[in-house]
Amino acid sequence: MGPLDGLAYGFSIALLPSNLFACFVGVLVGTVVGVLPGIGPVGAMALLLPSTFAMQPATALIMLAGIYYGAMYGGSTTSILVNVPGEAGSVVTLLDGYQMTKKGRAGAALTIAAVGSFVAGTIGVVGIMLASGWLADVAIQFGPPEYFAITLGGILLLSRLSGGSILNAFVMVALGLALGTVGMDSISALRRFTFGSVQLAQGVELVPVIMGVYGVAEVLLLAEEGIAKAQVATVKLRELLPTREEWRRSTMPIARGSVVGFLTGLVPGPAAVLSTFIAYTLEKRVSKTPEKFGTGMVEGVAGPEAANNGATAGAMVPLLSLGIPFSPATAILLGALVVHGLQPGPLMISQRPEVFWGFIASMYIGNVMLLILNLPLVSVFVTVLRLPQHVLATLVLLLCLVGAFSLSNSYLDLWVLVIFGVFGYVLRKLSVDPSPMVVALVLGPMMEKTLRQALFLTRGSVVDLVTRPLSAAIFILAAAALFGPPLIRLARGRRAPEPRPAR
Amino acid sequence: MLARTVPLVLLAASAVYLVLALRLPFGSAAKPGAGFYPVLVAVFALAVALAATASAFRGAAEGGAGAEPLEPAARRRVVISVAALAAFCLILPWVGYPAAAFAFVAVVLRYLGAGWTAALVTGVLSAAGSYGLFASLLDVPLPRGPW
Repeated sequence: MGPLDGLAYGFSIALLPSNLFACFVGVLVGTVVGVLPGIGPVGAMALLLPSTFAMQPATALIMLAGIYYGAMYGGSTTSILVNVPGEAGSVVTLLDGYQMTKKGRAGAALTIAAVGSFVAGTIGVVGIMLASGWLADVAIQFGPPEYFAITLGGILLLSRLSGGSILNAFVMVALGLALGTVGMDSISALRRFTFGSVQLAQGVELVPVIMGVYGVAEVLLLAEEGIAKAQVATVKLRELLPTREEWRRSTMPIARGSVVGFLTGLVPGPAAVLSTFIAYTLEKRVSKTPEKFGTGMVEGVAGPEAANNGATAGAMVPLLSLGIPFSPATAILLGALVVHGLQPGPLMISQRPEVFWGFIASMYIGNVMLLILNLPLVSVFVTVLRLPQHVLATLVLLLCLVGAFSLSNSYLDLWVLVIFGVFGYVLRKLSVDPSPMVVALVLGPMMEKTLRQALFLTRGSVVDLVTRPLSAAIFILAAAALFGPPLIRLARGRRAPEPRPAR
Repeated sequence: MLARTVPLVLLAASAVYLVLALRLPFGSAAKPGAGFYPVLVAVFALAVALAATASAFRGAAEGGAGAEPLEPAARRRVVISVAALAAFCLILPWVGYPAAAFAFVAVVLRYLGAGWTAALVTGVLSAAGSYGLFASLLDVPLPRGPW
């Protein structure tokens, strides 16, 4: 099936009432959690994952992904109006976005952000279509050594990019890998590190870990403040239109941001956050008036807001064509597919076209819905910000508890949730990003399986493992990405701004 | 204090993990057993935990290593929330979901600063609402408790 036939087929799937509804629910929830500071898309996806078990796999994927990219739209609203990032991916937006609000251009900033997100989302979907097909063709030749190389290289890269010290990231990786070995060994069926617990034989479940680290931990941070209410600027509908001058200045930043975002999304790492920093730096560098950034430059909103949406699209490529998630959000999407017995990877596009193409088409539809939700209806979402924070915090905690229990009706999952909630809170206090741990927990079992199969193939020779042409190429790419940027920086003698760890 | 405790705990955990991993059948490089990969992970974990501990004690850990101390009221709100979460997990099998959810919401809300009436009313509403949604609509077998 070529891309056009595939897309036409995809729309016939995505336009089914159940899928349309799932898409709407997804982007709506995404916008709301995007608007709300402290509650992120990853936590929300984990919360809603159990409710997708009864759905068709395509429907589940459509809804959960809608939350992910929907949050990138919603996050900018809070950054622009309240000067608090609604999402980690919108931290940069507030630099110039809130300044625009102070100058009375809040409506224009919101419109530019939403349109930029829409353009980037749409370009990103085209990118997924083209890149996934191509990558899947390559990946079909991959054996265990190559998959081992990708998982290992991905984890190393992620640690390099996750912000903060690489040592902290490695500690998180080690913890995630170790947690991934708990439970039944997939090859010899031996129970490992279960301390006799029957429930632990299934392994440490990913979802309560994610809900804890991203849901409970964030609420505990909110709890510190107790009763607090955000000061929200009001926007009238007719103020939403940017001037012709603002449009003109935003066009190129949106185009650049889309591309930068998509490319960043392909690389393992906190793509959405990282891409906004790259886009902002880029806009500043190409600008004729870089000193004006931070005073309400529309370019500083357009570029990053396009970039974070491009990045969410790019992040889908390794998941769909290799079956490897490089971020907590795509790990949840993988979880949603695996529950239905689907293994994303090079064969999924041809064997389960309804899932792949239905999902792609739904992203076009979702982006249109989001444009409508986030422009004319923006004031509806702003009222969410006026909800009393302590009530919201308490209810989110309750939802996390029910959600963790409903996964497999296990009391163990509840304890995993609470333990990782406290641990995630401590990590945030230490400014350590937990995402390398989450990704390592997901990739660890894949890495072990492929390593053991690969060693079996090469009869124990590590040299043979790394010198196969394809795996050697992957290792070299990973090494270049790992050591290239610091070397270039060293050569130039200046430091690029470090991304802040995700909140 | 936190910046030093966490690496120490992780160091101890990786040591225990290594001991347990060494008890599993290791196999050989050509035929790796169930303990092969865990031992590799354990060695890596021990190495990075050692390095992290060393850097924390040298005070060299840059950026955010010294988390600023919380004011007592904020600390109390966090401790109460965590205690309430743990209490919920403990009492859920005994008193059932509706009672546990009510108690959880009421207590946490009260300590986050809501008045008693608001806390109790929200507790009743959210317990009933979430029970209705999850148990009745989504068929999650939430324990009902002895009543």
